[in-house]
Amino acid sequence: MLQKREKVLLLRTFQGRTLRIVREHYLRPSVPCNSPLCPQPAACRNDGKLLAAEVTHYVIPDWKVVQDYLEVLEFPELKGVIFMQTACQAVQHQRGRRQYNKLRNLLKDARHDCVLFANEFQQHCYLPREKGEAMEKWQTRSIYNSAVWYYHHCEDRMPIVMVTEDEEAIQKYGSETEGVFVISFKNYLDNFWPDLKAAHDLCDSILQSRRERETESQETHGKEYPEHLPLEVLEAGIKSGRYIQGILNVNKHRAQIEAFVRLHGASSKDSGLVSDILIHGSKARNRSIHGDVVVVEMLPKSEWKGRTAALGENDSDDKASGESPSEPMPTGRVVGILQKNWRDYVVTFPSKEEVQSQGKNAQKILVTPWDYRIPKIRISTQQAEALQDFRVVVRIDSWEATSVYPNGHFVRVLGRIGDLEGEIATILVENSISVVPFSEAQMCEMPVNTPENPWKVSPKEEQERKDLRTTHLVFSIDPKGCEDVDDTLSVRTLNNGNLELGVHIADVTHFVAPNSYIDVEARTRATTYYLADRRYDMLPSILSADLCSLLGGVDRYAVSVMWELDKTSYEIKKVWYGRTIIRSAYKLFYEAAQELLDGNFSIVDDIPELKALDKQSQQAKLEELVWAIGKLTDIARHIRAKRDRCGALELEGVEVRVQLDDKKNIRDLIPKQPLEVHETVAECMILANHWVAKKIWESFPHQALLRQHPPPHQEFFSELRECAKAKGFFIDTRSNKTLADSLDSANDPKDPLVNKLLRSMATQAMSNALYFSTGSCAEEEFHHYGLALDKYTHFTSPIRRYSDIVVHRLLMAAISKDKKMEIKENLFSNKNLEELCRHINNRNRAAQRSQKQSTELFQCMYFKDRDAETEERCIADGVIYSIRTNGVLVFIPRFGIKGAAYLKNKDSLVISCGPEGSSEWKPGSLQRSQNKIISTTAGGQSVTFHLFDHVTVRISVQASRCHSDTIRLEIVSNKPYMIPNTELCHQSSLLKSELVKEVTRSVEEAQLAQEVKGKVIQEEHQEYCQTKGRSLYTLLEEIRDLALLDVSDSCAM
Amino acid sequence: AGLELLSDQGYRIDGRRAGELRKIQARMGVFAQADGSAYIEQGNTKALAVVYGPHEIRGSRSRALPDRALVNCQYSSATFSTGERKRRPHGDRKSCEMGLQLRQTFEAAILTQLHPRSQIDIYVQVLQADGGTYAACVNAATLAVMDAGIPMRDFVCACSAGFVDGTALADLSHVEEAAGGPQLALALLPASGQIALLEMDSRLHEDHLEQVLEAAAQAARGVHTLLDLVVRQHVQEASVSLGD
Repeated sequence: MLQKREKVLLLRTFQGRTLRIVREHYLRPSVPCNSPLCPQPAACRNDGKLLAAEVTHYVIPDWKVVQDYLEVLEFPELKGVIFMQTACQAVQHQRGRRQYNKLRNLLKDARHDCVLFANEFQQHCYLPREKGEAMEKWQTRSIYNSAVWYYHHCEDRMPIVMVTEDEEAIQKYGSETEGVFVISFKNYLDNFWPDLKAAHDLCDSILQSRRERETESQETHGKEYPEHLPLEVLEAGIKSGRYIQGILNVNKHRAQIEAFVRLHGASSKDSGLVSDILIHGSKARNRSIHGDVVVVEMLPKSEWKGRTAALGENDSDDKASGESPSEPMPTGRVVGILQKNWRDYVVTFPSKEEVQSQGKNAQKILVTPWDYRIPKIRISTQQAEALQDFRVVVRIDSWEATSVYPNGHFVRVLGRIGDLEGEIATILVENSISVVPFSEAQMCEMPVNTPENPWKVSPKEEQERKDLRTTHLVFSIDPKGCEDVDDTLSVRTLNNGNLELGVHIADVTHFVAPNSYIDVEARTRATTYYLADRRYDMLPSILSADLCSLLGGVDRYAVSVMWELDKTSYEIKKVWYGRTIIRSAYKLFYEAAQELLDGNFSIVDDIPELKALDKQSQQAKLEELVWAIGKLTDIARHIRAKRDRCGALELEGVEVRVQLDDKKNIRDLIPKQPLEVHETVAECMILANHWVAKKIWESFPHQALLRQHPPPHQEFFSELRECAKAKGFFIDTRSNKTLADSLDSANDPKDPLVNKLLRSMATQAMSNALYFSTGSCAEEEFHHYGLALDKYTHFTSPIRRYSDIVVHRLLMAAISKDKKMEIKENLFSNKNLEELCRHINNRNRAAQRSQKQSTELFQCMYFKDRDAETEERCIADGVIYSIRTNGVLVFIPRFGIKGAAYLKNKDSLVISCGPEGSSEWKPGSLQRSQNKIISTTAGGQSVTFHLFDHVTVRISVQASRCHSDTIRLEIVSNKPYMIPNTELCHQSSLLKSELVKEVTRSVEEAQLAQEVKGKVIQEEHQEYCQTKGRSLYTLLEEIRDLALLDVSDSCAM
Repeated sequence: AGLELLSDQGYRIDGRRAGELRKIQARMGVFAQADGSAYIEQGNTKALAVVYGPHEIRGSRSRALPDRALVNCQYSSATFSTGERKRRPHGDRKSCEMGLQLRQTFEAAILTQLHPRSQIDIYVQVLQADGGTYAACVNAATLAVMDAGIPMRDFVCACSAGFVDGTALADLSHVEEAAGGPQLALALLPASGQIALLEMDSRLHEDHLEQVLEAAAQAARGVHTLLDLVVRQHVQEASVSLGD
């Protein structure tokens, strides 16, 4: 069946000799053509994705087009694209792995109508390369020949357009075969897609930047950077230990000078290096960009430099550890880049004045990326003036050794600078979050639920599922106004006297078939994104807010875990997993449940399900419910105690809280009161997650998705220990238990904030919890440090986390495996799952980052239009939590802002505080020691700032055109800020949520003034009003939010 | 950038799918002087096998075994067999090891107890090496032993298999071997399904072993059908020339 051919390759070896290599090449009579027009689909074995049936023509790009215009071909509007294998191989060999992977993902993506045709393995399509024929010519010839064959294969029913950049080919083949047209890419876009403006723009800008590059390479002026070493040399160097491989991580605050290389895998062990490697200056960085995998050569010890501990221009967080600036650290220079991490960048064009000063070459414009860590990018465009007030997305094309800055091209406009929508779009792009509305094809897969055509439980499902509608009292406890209820609880007494506890989770996988359009989309999103004022759902609202939401009083599909517990000891006797049908009886909110638990029945009027009933049945129902909640709480307490005993921890504000917070809706703007009911629900969810984790791991030891939380590195705790020592506390960080205990005892009765800050530092030192595939990790590493469980996963929120959907599928497969039924679900293999985990972890970090950035955006907008000098609310009380050489880091509890306050300004004047608390700038010097900083003026006056001192700060906004605005803090006085007592409670209730509300309102007002309808969802804001009073819990939550993000920032590198 | 050994569409570098063998061509009785001889091409791997015996023990008589025949195997590979010219054709460590492996394989297959105190020599030479040399040698030697008329339990059919991205690849070519993944060589007695020799290079998780083993065994059975055809054809030709 197969025909054998031979290919002769001549390769040049390192020594310069030519090596003749003979490779076999097998041809087969048929390869999948993936066309719906195929006359013999059985012979072609078209089992993958097919091209759309309704296209007017197929388009076959030449190798050069695929290499250069892949971005344009990625437009989903372009349909019926056939990539020839020859072209794909050209990309693989000449454009590198990154571009090739992009192409591969495009081919895999069900949303794009494109297929690969393996023409080189088809016996009629394959053309051997002739003697003396140039590679390029052969590739074009081969692609054309395949295009002709393909045309005839489809029985001449579908015209084919081959697009090429080769003029000769257009001449030669243009009219050779009827039905196969050969035209240039530009021509193709003009004729077939005249309306697709975005594609035209992109095409033009690619063309222009390429032309620029060509002319540039002809000019040979002096090289700005040393050339990168060839790949073979790098690989050999890494193996021999001469070079070190790592990920480049640019310091946000000194992006010009400082970058660090985080070591990668094994190389750190061999070289014996513990810390990161400093890359000092842009020369040494040698054209690598933040996030690239680079190869570094160490400099001799005499050239090592230290990092700076002084507060930089934009220093707002506290990442740099307390090393003194003089201490030199390993320093190196980049000699090569293994993998480029270029993505889309949001940039700002220079304003008019700046353009003129750039002078001689007006077409090339240096634009400033929004992200400080990215160097300026050179763009060739004529639209610079039109674009100056906008945030714009660009891509980097190349960075030659001869050019100081990288070359890029313009992709699209996001929105005006300073405009809320534009800035939010910026945050999304910078975090690579793409949240286009769900497409029609995706919505078509969704079930219908309209008043005329209500959704019903199907009889088939009724037979297969366990029916709990009549037997169990199922209810949900959520925050008020929550619409995506994905978990419910039940508890009842069995006939034998034992208790049965049930956790019922929305059965999302019933509606989301594996590899359906909606599944692919959800996988790409990986999570629901919560920004400060809005959210982007992972699933369409028909599922998330309706059919998958376990609302009260309606029949819903669920996946349940039910435990039989001993009536007295609450020992788990049996566990049952399976699909069920439930009808939630009550949709309670936390406060109401707590009231019921406390025996306060006046709340009954707030429960709609009970209100309508008459007195007597109301009483009976109420008793039943109160018993269930009480029992549940009791069980949860027991389970919790058991977990604590098992060497567990009571680590406030780490995973338990995250869990609790994660559990329902992280509209973190609705901070929860620390009620016991929270704990009860959280504990039940942890229990369910834990048991499901055990189950799927037992059934699929090598391909289960679990969640691990590695124990933290002891070194990271040093700052925490130092700080605690300043206040006279001792923190024992040897295990999670001792850490939790000593944190509990480290409590300053005078200042509760001290404890909160210490806790946030502890949180910061923790590693992040991560998803992983069990096949790629040793069993000891499964442990979850925060929860002190040996196995843990996420199972309880499939509506807003893709990981839970995967776990649901695994659980279903495990059940059918137990029943010896064939496994219907197609599960991920270990490798694919590992890749998916990486993607989800990555997306989660992006979600956290975008949440943090949007919060900061709102903070800035809140303070932006206020005059910091006069307005009263811009003055606030702050706590010093870290000391630097030229300033201190301050935390402002009232707004949850962390920031730097300088004690020495640009003119080298230091701060001095008068006796009555006012401050001014005077010449003088600063003196820093372990836990205090002394500012001495020339006149001999001195002020001392200790760690954990309260100071009064003024908040203002430092506006920035190219980047996000930042909050600036200024110390007004070294005394705590006293709010007049009468205002205290009122004042302190101003939380992030209020702030967001206010900003959105002002934006809306502005928009209304322009008669533009505000897009912000009003109802969301109603909920923010619920927050009353400031609890320590919420405060802690806020610190934690920021703290966790800082850590993840560094992990994301 | 490493080569993509298995594309997303399921093709290997040379256009085969995961379980497909390379083209096999073989001939028996290529030399008249020897008792048995055979030549095989598996893809671009070419091997020549010659068998002498059973005959009296040559050299020191003390090597003679009282109850069965001594199988003596020698492997060599031509200096021009690889891309870069080799220094010495045989006697190096690798050749010796290969000789031992062949000996082990054929001791298991030949009914040695029928010829006590005698010796069977098998000489194998690889003319072109393009992956799977052990398999090619075994297959060639099987044919040569049959050509010599030495009784065997069954054919010995060998094939290699590798493991890439969760998929087992049968009959590795040189490019695939050089990529450095796990590689398994299997010599099978196809009728009984017994394994004459199993060898594994580099690490492979035990969970995947079964899959790779099955792929190799399947390929070996495929080799068997082909060799069987060759033998039948040869016998037919021989009988025609004898004039029966």
